[in-house]
Amino acid sequence: MTRIKTKLTPNIDNSRNTATNATCGDKRANQVCTAPRIPDVIERRRILGEMIEPSPSVQTMECGSDAQSDTVSSHASASKVAYTYDGTLEGLLSCVFAAYANREDPADIMPADSFQPRLGQAVRSISTDLTRAERVRVGVCRNCGPAGFAAVRTASLSDNPTMSMTVYRFIRHGMAQNRPHSCAGCKRQRSCSGTGEGNLGLCSNSAQPSTLNDLSHPAVAGVRKLVREATCEAERMRQFIRFEHMDNGVWFARCNPKASVVPLIMSHFAARFNTQPFIIYDETHHLAGVSENGTWQLVRTDEITLPGYAPDEAPMRRAWKRFYDSVSVESRYHPELQRQFMPMRLWKNITEMQEALPRAVRASEQQYIGTSAHDALSADRLNQTDLTPVQSKGGMKLSLAASPTCQ
Amino acid sequence: METADKLEILADAAKYDVACTSSGVNRGAVFGQLGSASSAGCCHSFTPDGRCITLLKVLMTNVCIYDCAYCVNRASNDVPRAAFTPRELADLTIAFYRRNCIEGLFLSSGVIGNPDQTSELMARTLRILRYDYGFRGYLHAKAVPGTSPELINELGQLADRLSVNMELPSHQSLALLAPQKSKQNIVAPMRQIRDTIATDRDVRALMGKNTVYGTSVQTRHKQAPFAPAGQSTQMIIGATPESDYHVLNLSAALYRTMSMKRVFFSAYVPVNSDPRLPSNDAMQLNREHRLYQADWLLRFYKFDVTEIIDESHPFLETDIDPKANWALNHLDLFPVEVNAAPYAMLLRVPGIGVKGARSIIAARRQRKLGEDELRKLGIAFKRAKFFITCNGTYAAPGIDFSRDVLHAQLSAPINGGRHGRRADKAIPGQMSLFESVDTPEKLRARGLQPGQNTPNAAPLTSYAPRSCTTSDWNRLLEAS
Repeated sequence: MTRIKTKLTPNIDNSRNTATNATCGDKRANQVCTAPRIPDVIERRRILGEMIEPSPSVQTMECGSDAQSDTVSSHASASKVAYTYDGTLEGLLSCVFAAYANREDPADIMPADSFQPRLGQAVRSISTDLTRAERVRVGVCRNCGPAGFAAVRTASLSDNPTMSMTVYRFIRHGMAQNRPHSCAGCKRQRSCSGTGEGNLGLCSNSAQPSTLNDLSHPAVAGVRKLVREATCEAERMRQFIRFEHMDNGVWFARCNPKASVVPLIMSHFAARFNTQPFIIYDETHHLAGVSENGTWQLVRTDEITLPGYAPDEAPMRRAWKRFYDSVSVESRYHPELQRQFMPMRLWKNITEMQEALPRAVRASEQQYIGTSAHDALSADRLNQTDLTPVQSKGGMKLSLAASPTCQ
Repeated sequence: METADKLEILADAAKYDVACTSSGVNRGAVFGQLGSASSAGCCHSFTPDGRCITLLKVLMTNVCIYDCAYCVNRASNDVPRAAFTPRELADLTIAFYRRNCIEGLFLSSGVIGNPDQTSELMARTLRILRYDYGFRGYLHAKAVPGTSPELINELGQLADRLSVNMELPSHQSLALLAPQKSKQNIVAPMRQIRDTIATDRDVRALMGKNTVYGTSVQTRHKQAPFAPAGQSTQMIIGATPESDYHVLNLSAALYRTMSMKRVFFSAYVPVNSDPRLPSNDAMQLNREHRLYQADWLLRFYKFDVTEIIDESHPFLETDIDPKANWALNHLDLFPVEVNAAPYAMLLRVPGIGVKGARSIIAARRQRKLGEDELRKLGIAFKRAKFFITCNGTYAAPGIDFSRDVLHAQLSAPINGGRHGRRADKAIPGQMSLFESVDTPEKLRARGLQPGQNTPNAAPLTSYAPRSCTTSDWNRLLEAS
């Protein structure tokens, strides 16, 4: 029993941060993906041993009755079991591990906060175990290829309530099939979105008879659909994010995507705007991407404190709004088409879709009357700010106002 | 005048230019420099007319010495005039770019003084952006007909895409509506851009491969590539009586001879009252839509222009798209077996596009495809089912496989929205009861507000369509 980890509930903050690290394409992790390690004999025995023993990290309780956990794990019929986890990719992979370890096929896998048990369903809350998640990751890389794991990772960003189950089904199917999607020797490796840095799991090489290319299989089609949803949402964010120029030289953008896509868009913006420090804050998922000098990191934050706006913010917003209003051709008026391309749910964070300037922008403008708006565009003004995420008691708090302003 | 006022005037003046794409060039970011460009492009906003804003589309100035009948900025129109200084426009571009409002700048201009002076102003703006700001975003510049070759060379080094407007689809129309422009003036810069792009590409390829021996030659390696996103052009549809047959043949010739990346069609928007222009205000938006569909068939579906349209039916069908029309005319080739048909044939099935055809090829390597599988692949099965068999069984059982029945099944009116001009029941192109109808644009050009009552416009002489069979543009293009 020495192999079982005693610490079962890792610190929430830590696990969240590592989750985001793994999601954003850790270089080291990718290298492991490409050269999967084959477990040695002792390790295999260890895996087998763990699979036979019901894992103590699984805490079981039955809804509506107080049955013993061991009896439930061995006798519960497959449709009656549900797993809950903490909502991270690692948590989901731990659930997959638990399903194999307990030799059962859960009917539902859901993040604990949005889970509603069915009548008579046994609920197991699976605690996130990083070593187990890593073993599942290695397994998926081995049996489905790195592109297969990339698909899993991108799909797990989706907000779709069936996401966990879809990903679980795909992993089960991929493990059973064992037809890896190999990117070794592929000519399109550099241009393909299935490999490389922006690894999304959308490989364009259709010639391989891999699980990932079995497009019409229900298990694969489901994951492909989720990947498509997430990448489409990322593209919308690339289109419709609008930065606001803050008083301390930081550029700030707020967004409300349907999937947690900030990890997917940060590398694009960090490269493009490497001359300006900026923050993209996802207000639905409470996740902020912070970038400076071309590098970026993710921060979980529940609240955000903003400084005032820069002097050029109000005039530039007004100019952009005037431009937007004047380029439309009235004779071609077609608002349905506009809404089709630019969904209304995103309008609240798009500058030109607001009728009047927000009060905060107008108020900050009053401070700068008499100064030239173009002074704010000078390059040295922008490059002197540093951002320090502040750790506080109730989770991460991101404070922009605390960073030193440059005059 | 404030910059924002100028911006409003010059954006308003540029809005009838339809070409607005930021695609075709992949330029990665560099540390310390602002901006990048991706080959797919990116649309940053959509106006109430459903068109995208991807670039800051403005004119350098709307002062123009020309007096083209269709143009809102013509010399005889009494509209407010403004001009940007190069520095002002560059600052504005950078400020919007930093806010992620645009992908770059689309710079066009009215002709101020002479073409060279105009182009010099445009080049100065682009120089400030590229050299002073180190801007790596997308730049699109219009080459004004009549500009000297040296200036076009410079514009090409600075911009990603150049375009020369064809304006009208025939020589006679051009002579009628834009008498100060000549076809030679338009085709000459196009040819120059095509040749320079080709030379530049060859030189770069050779340099990259190190196949040039003798090191004394100064290489062009450090120089920016010449218009890496190629060139495009646009023409106005519906102001003159040319048929679709004529327009599509012309655009096919442009793709073939000028290596165009895009040919844009712009449905004529009545902004001026002029006896040379059609007096009814029916914008041919649906015709424009069908022309673009045909254009896509030329560019992505490997159709030849002769397959899309022939001389005996010079206009595209209005109630059915060109691809479905082709399929209905070639029913002997259908239905095709999805599990066996080659890629080129799958592409020709209505309802299956480029992505769908690729997915089918990938998926059928692993299992036989039936209806359920096809629906999962994201093709328009509703349309495709009439033309395919799955494992030997016809996918639309109970449907008579004949032209009339399938035509009824496939015909769909173009969705023109519930609010705009296409929402009403009037058939596009039909003659209006009244001789001249005011559009909001026409009113504004006369200095009135839309909705204000206007004195009756003087009845205009009706515009007699002339038959236009000779294709002088084509001859000129083929000669190059």
